[in-house]
Amino acid sequence: MQALKKLKSAKLTRRLAVLSVAAASLALAGCDDNGGDPRTQIGANPELPKLQQYLMPPIRIAKAVGWGKDETPTVPQGLQVHALATGFVHPRSLYVLPNGDVLVVESNGPKAPIYRPKDIITGWVQWFAGAKAKDENRITLLRDTNGDGVPELRTVFLDHLSSPFGVAVVGHDLYVANTDAIVRYPYEDGQTSITAPGTKLTDLPGGPIDHHWTKTLLASPDGSKLYVGVGSNSNIGENGIGAEYERAAIWEVDRATGAHRIYASGVRNPTGLQWEPETGKLWAIANERDEIGPDLVPDYLTSVRDGGFYGWPYSYYGQHLDPRIVPQRPDLVASAIAPDYALSSHVAPLGLAMYTGTALPANYRGGAFVGEHGSWDRTPLNGYKVVFVPFSGGKPSGPAQDVVTGFLDANNHARGRPVGLAVDRAGALLIADDVGNTVWRVSSAPSSASPRPAT
Amino acid sequence: MKHATITEATFISDASSRSTTKPRGRPIHRMLASFSAAYFVGALVTDLVYWQMPDVMWERFSIWLIVAGLLVSGLTVIAYVIDLASGRQIDRPAWPRVVGYAVAVVLSLFNAFVHSRDGYTAVVPTGLTLSVLVVAVLIVTAGIGSALSNRHRVGG
Repeated sequence: MQALKKLKSAKLTRRLAVLSVAAASLALAGCDDNGGDPRTQIGANPELPKLQQYLMPPIRIAKAVGWGKDETPTVPQGLQVHALATGFVHPRSLYVLPNGDVLVVESNGPKAPIYRPKDIITGWVQWFAGAKAKDENRITLLRDTNGDGVPELRTVFLDHLSSPFGVAVVGHDLYVANTDAIVRYPYEDGQTSITAPGTKLTDLPGGPIDHHWTKTLLASPDGSKLYVGVGSNSNIGENGIGAEYERAAIWEVDRATGAHRIYASGVRNPTGLQWEPETGKLWAIANERDEIGPDLVPDYLTSVRDGGFYGWPYSYYGQHLDPRIVPQRPDLVASAIAPDYALSSHVAPLGLAMYTGTALPANYRGGAFVGEHGSWDRTPLNGYKVVFVPFSGGKPSGPAQDVVTGFLDANNHARGRPVGLAVDRAGALLIADDVGNTVWRVSSAPSSASPRPAT
Repeated sequence: MKHATITEATFISDASSRSTTKPRGRPIHRMLASFSAAYFVGALVTDLVYWQMPDVMWERFSIWLIVAGLLVSGLTVIAYVIDLASGRQIDRPAWPRVVGYAVAVVLSLFNAFVHSRDGYTAVVPTGLTLSVLVVAVLIVTAGIGSALSNRHRVGG
């Protein structure tokens, strides 16, 4: 009797052991898949692999180490790069005022609430990647009167803001897009600081979750409207569809009344709003969803159609359904527009500058610079650079070229991460670097017989 | 009527035998294990509700219940090790329970990862399936455990 009992239990144990080994190998199987060549996902028709779901989604962060003394990013021949100014606190975006002064928005997101155990882990990951810097929530002004790339004046332009990101000037009105409202300030040309209280134009979707907090701002050419990029409140709707009210959208705000309408929707995190100079169309960059594979979903650059729906959260790149959203909306999915130009997966584009200047070499005239903040959930790392997408006839006309690299060191540690871009009055490209806490300036190398080699 | 009487009688005899064979009462790890099992059962209930009515609130309940269950399982293991180390008399037929419980905890650990996904697939179908499996394993374990201990008591 006793022996039989033992035999039975031994059998049971063995069976259970087999079961747990099977379960464990299932878990491991999900861990070792690397992303493919990002070049297959650049352009109008990216390769979209089969969707995967994970037990443990891959996390691959570049540890933030900062720039060593005399270290700079790398640029190709014909260009040179140097620090316009250093010592910022998490600079996220840039704006060039009509008189040429450069505004540096030093900002960080509001504290994220903890709804699930996962949110605690995410907090640690962000801290490791250098995204948990102190938030100064101010705007610093740099003035370089003689255009030599060395500012003579540096002042605190606006202080005590609420996670600001976008700035736009129309006449004597300066608008700041805080994470929860657009605020208008009186501004005179040449002013180096604003102390007057602001007037709220309109509320924007803010806390308490505020997952994608950056609000990009762009004024219409005639100055009557403001366009605002409002990111989603989740990766893929995990905070409930109610939390996404008027989010994942580009708003059109009437400057006179503050009234708004949804100009386009289904864009997970739209930033970098710009007017394409040839056609006058609105363009944006967008960060797509995570946790369904190293090569899904490619982030993109796209023209934005009035009333257009771009898929999020129900689908991506047109009609590719996302099973994580229930109930689905076949009516919306049927109308989902595939974006114009994929930038490859998880590069995290956060800065866009349509180049209309003539100061950079001829191959950069007519096209868009894109600041790719870099991936955190993909092996190998992707992004961490500024690329140039050539345009012709108002459309991208070729593969993206690396322009500013070297943000990662040989150990794949992040010396910096590019975010917002702007073109200064002299036609040089400015890059906000929120890990290196620097604003970089890329200009043409002196056209002497021997151009300065890239450093 | 007759049935009820028998149950009561069994209950009384069980209670009295326990009071004689275990003068120091129920070992603390047993109590903790019951707590964690209750958390896992709770997660199954909230998973079932989410399946029928996918509101994120229920998914959040599930993941916190699973994590709480896992934390208490950790305490259970510590208490069990202390009981073993202190040379406390542990019922011989307890060990199938140990194996069953361990399986339930390992499955719950996987379940915690699945429930940490974003959106509907955090629960349906894999998370819900794991929650069902965990509770099934716990019920079977409890059944085997009590059957063995009863037989042990009768035979011994």
